[in-house]
Amino acid sequence: MRGGLRGKSAKRIVKAIRDSGEIWLTNTGPRDTSQSDYKNRFTLHDMSRLIPVYNESGYFSVEVHGGARLHQNMLNNKIDPFREVQLWASGSSRVLIQTLIRATNVWGYRMYPRNVVKLAVRSFLETVDVWRCFDFLNYVPNMAPVAEEVLKGGRIFQPAISFNESPDCSDAYFLRVVKEIVALCGGTDGIILCVKDMAGLGSPDRIRRLIDAILQKHPDLLILYHRHATDGLVIPAMAAAAQAGARLFDVTDDAFSRFYGHPPVRPLVRYLRELGFSVRLDMEKAGEATDIIRGFIRGYEMYESPYKGFSHDVVTHRMPGGAFPSSFEQAEKGGFLDLMPDILKGMAYGNRIIKYFDVTPGSQITWTTWAGIVQRVQKEGGESGVRKLFQALEKYFQAGERMEALSPAEESILLGLYARATDDLKNLLLGKLGPLPFGWPKDWVYRSAFGEEWRERVAADRLESSPLSHLPEEDLGRARETMEAELGRPPTDEEFVLYLMHPKAATDFLKFRQMYGDTTVLPTAVWFYGLKSPGDSVLVTLSGKPHVISLVSIGEGVGGIKQVVLSVDNIMHVFPVELPGAAHARKTVRKANPAVKGEVGSSMRGTVWRIGTKDRVLKEGDRLRKGEEIMNIEVMKTENAVKSPVEGVIRELCVAVNETVEVGQLLAVIGPEPDLQ
Amino acid sequence: MSPPVFRKIFIANRGEIACRAVRPCRELGIRSVVGYSDCDELSLHVKLADEAVRLGPSPASMSYLDIDAVLRAARDSGCDAVFPGYGFLAENPDFAEAVEREGMVFIGPPARVMRILGDKIAARRALSASGVPVTPGLEDVENAEQIVAFGKRVGWPLIIKATAGGGGKGMRKVSSPHEVEEGLQAARSVAEKAFGKASVYVEKFIEGARHIEFQFLADRHGNVIHLGERECSIQRQHQKLVEEAPSSLLTPEVRKRMGAVVVRAMKEVGYETAGTLEFLVDRKGKFFALEVNTRIQVEHTVTEMISGFDIIRKMFKIAGGERLSLTQGDVLLRGHAIQCRINAEDPKHGFAPSFGRITFLRQISGPFVRTESGIYQGWQVPPYYDSLLSKICAVGKDRDTAIERMRRALREFEIWGVKTTVRLLKEILSHPDFVSGDIHTGFIEENIAHLTEYEDLEEEIFKVAKFVAEVSALGGNVHGA
Repeated sequence: MRGGLRGKSAKRIVKAIRDSGEIWLTNTGPRDTSQSDYKNRFTLHDMSRLIPVYNESGYFSVEVHGGARLHQNMLNNKIDPFREVQLWASGSSRVLIQTLIRATNVWGYRMYPRNVVKLAVRSFLETVDVWRCFDFLNYVPNMAPVAEEVLKGGRIFQPAISFNESPDCSDAYFLRVVKEIVALCGGTDGIILCVKDMAGLGSPDRIRRLIDAILQKHPDLLILYHRHATDGLVIPAMAAAAQAGARLFDVTDDAFSRFYGHPPVRPLVRYLRELGFSVRLDMEKAGEATDIIRGFIRGYEMYESPYKGFSHDVVTHRMPGGAFPSSFEQAEKGGFLDLMPDILKGMAYGNRIIKYFDVTPGSQITWTTWAGIVQRVQKEGGESGVRKLFQALEKYFQAGERMEALSPAEESILLGLYARATDDLKNLLLGKLGPLPFGWPKDWVYRSAFGEEWRERVAADRLESSPLSHLPEEDLGRARETMEAELGRPPTDEEFVLYLMHPKAATDFLKFRQMYGDTTVLPTAVWFYGLKSPGDSVLVTLSGKPHVISLVSIGEGVGGIKQVVLSVDNIMHVFPVELPGAAHARKTVRKANPAVKGEVGSSMRGTVWRIGTKDRVLKEGDRLRKGEEIMNIEVMKTENAVKSPVEGVIRELCVAVNETVEVGQLLAVIGPEPDLQ
Repeated sequence: MSPPVFRKIFIANRGEIACRAVRPCRELGIRSVVGYSDCDELSLHVKLADEAVRLGPSPASMSYLDIDAVLRAARDSGCDAVFPGYGFLAENPDFAEAVEREGMVFIGPPARVMRILGDKIAARRALSASGVPVTPGLEDVENAEQIVAFGKRVGWPLIIKATAGGGGKGMRKVSSPHEVEEGLQAARSVAEKAFGKASVYVEKFIEGARHIEFQFLADRHGNVIHLGERECSIQRQHQKLVEEAPSSLLTPEVRKRMGAVVVRAMKEVGYETAGTLEFLVDRKGKFFALEVNTRIQVEHTVTEMISGFDIIRKMFKIAGGERLSLTQGDVLLRGHAIQCRINAEDPKHGFAPSFGRITFLRQISGPFVRTESGIYQGWQVPPYYDSLLSKICAVGKDRDTAIERMRRALREFEIWGVKTTVRLLKEILSHPDFVSGDIHTGFIEENIAHLTEYEDLEEEIFKVAKFVAEVSALGGNVHGA
């Protein structure tokens, strides 16, 4: 069956895979592998070369969207997330386009209300075929808004069960979750179940037993096994999963494969074929993709973690994917690299005290909490303090998690553990993200995090039901107005969705675009490093028309400014580029915030020649009517009255007579009249 | 071939009008000399003229407005005539007299006529005396109370104007008695700053009015003809932005009747050379004379495009003593012409002036369009003078055709480095009210929000290039870091 899957209904696709008797593969290179091993920096310029090859390779889907990529695209890559997925969709007639969605956290780091979740999903339904959805608590109601929209939209919903190997994570537990999922989706006909082993810690045997147990219960269920390579056992684990009946696997291209992402596709396929499975993949095309990748992969070297190599201890600390190496990088930057073994050890204990699955946002909570605890204990008590901490923890678990078994000193160590709990951790403990999968932690944890009033806090604030039903819907009209004020123009529907996910990143991104246009047309090397030597040039195609930018010269930095001369389509242009640091040295001009009504900005560049009117000199504290003249600016012999947009009192006069002002510069702040009491 | 009317003309101006004036000089075999200020030494008029003389430092008061400097430059370069253009010294009778005193010909009306018509109050009286209708006015303004009383008598709103004004400067509209005080102060203050004379007068403000003006030519021998009217209702704070000829408001009969009024009045006042009589037409079609412009006007091009006459060339010939070779019957107006002014201003930010280097320029060409421009790519727009960069003109057999061609021309016009009125002009030319001819002097103010909704689009490639420049200079991407 070579035909395309795209355009078919979810049920037909699921049936086609089921009937094919083959193993199908999802290529995670552009998103998950990129995120785990390359900090999500792949450029569209490079990715677009892979699109036609993937399309001919026989993959089930390509994961190009979701997870942290949406945020990273706006923050760093300056890629429009909508354009990116459209580019993939338009070139992928035979392969499905996939996203990863964090249930209520969607593509962000906090819980969004139902109306935001639904709006976000709907805005990508047109282009995204496969929706993998997980919840770090395996709390199925958190997936409901996503499931509803995806199923209604006729797309493939791929619910995931977050996997962990621990005594609590029994087959019975997972079967309960699967049952809820199947109920949510109205059966197994139109879905694919993903077993999400995001840290890569399932032993081959454990995975075999789990998949077998699920299939015993739901023989028709299509199961995909997603597994990171961190512990080094990814290929045998996948083979075991295949033997148990899993029918889809996440892979990456050989040349993309490192340590924290996904298994290289060709070795896996060869092994599975050797075991007798029929696997859908054109090996030659997979080789072609790897050749293309080798051509550009060195460009991302600076984003690869210097902390290389498998980590079998992932089975205890459970840090998922790229979170593991990047924690070392953070520790190095923060100067506590030497504490990493203790932090990892602490995380392993922490996982047994407060139980959830280590994937966003839980993995971040575990990391911040334990990086904080170990640093604090080390600072306060030195190495012996850390040793005492672990002794107390060990004793606590040895004694069957009984506080009474500890000495008062040891007890106070444990009670101090969560004294500096972050808001995220507190919210987690109060059920604001959903009920914990294996029950609430012991009382002493609450006492540690919330102090002596912990009982009252728990009684008053802990949610025992779905947090979504407690979350008020977002006032979309107001949010849009706020965005418009920040952006200075009305946003499009797509831009608004980006803003709802990540307000600051979205406005910064859109402002970047306003300033620099669509930089994704640039080749990767120019995007990262620019043009190096005079004569270097880059060919850029915009709306189908070719343009050439070439470097003529880069001046010496004079006064914090480098003059760069470029020839743009045969015409020389000088671009003054401010060097870092120079911006601070320059006189900083306070800008008026257009979103704040009382902040009066200058609409022109000119000279303030009068404050107030001829008859009324104004000073701070003076009252103004709406529309009353605050000051007058002269520009090229014309007088321009600056009028108060509101009625009120001059809170601040930010300029003086004879001062030259710039466009947007804050001239005055008008506030409401203070209460006369 | 008869000898040229002059040997050498000094063009006492800059920008597009100075460039414009060089052209008929060249056609007629007259040498052209321009003056320039320091910031204009590389300006286009200097490059186009046969000779150029430095006038002084950049501020206009020390160069283009410095009568002694201009006279010296004209005399020392051996000119026998001076063409003042518009603005600067164009309507300054003292300058006209000084030119004549130096034995050169001033290409404009006699100082005596300029004195009458340049003083707005005297002009109102003179026009009124020769049968031209004028708006109700208050001529001797001493205090605000007088204005309030006048407003009560003739009805609000009123407009306060500088007696020595021009170009819309120093005009203030007041809509109610309590705005009078502030309006009077502001008008006086600007009048003082711009014209060195704080005196003002008051007229009834005609709301929803259209601005229509008649172009006329008069020779030294008492012959006066008119070249029809121009419609200049698309203006902002009395600064015209789009002008056209003819006006869709005038029937041939009305044109004929008004033309006759204009010709008679100018004969009576003893006018000479080219000039314009401006009218406001109220909603009922009633005409009120506004003022006489005793100079070439920015928008003279549209008249040229439909009449076939080069007005500046005619001015040279008239100043040289030639008789008008035409009679009113020879003036045949054909088709419709529109002119757009491309100013270095940012309509999105209150029309704030924008100066800086023009990094890229593609001016228009193609059938039935014309450009009058004082700029070139790489030139730096100086902050000292009027913001007019370029005028583009389109002509067609009727108004619709002219609009289509103007839209096409605006689409082709491309300028980088400074903010201009181009995008605003595109919006105006597409506005349904403009297209249907339903315009008046408040059109821009009323529609400003909609007209400036456009996004300031910089060329995509230029934006990307800016990014490449930045990454190249810093040796790495600070955004993607």
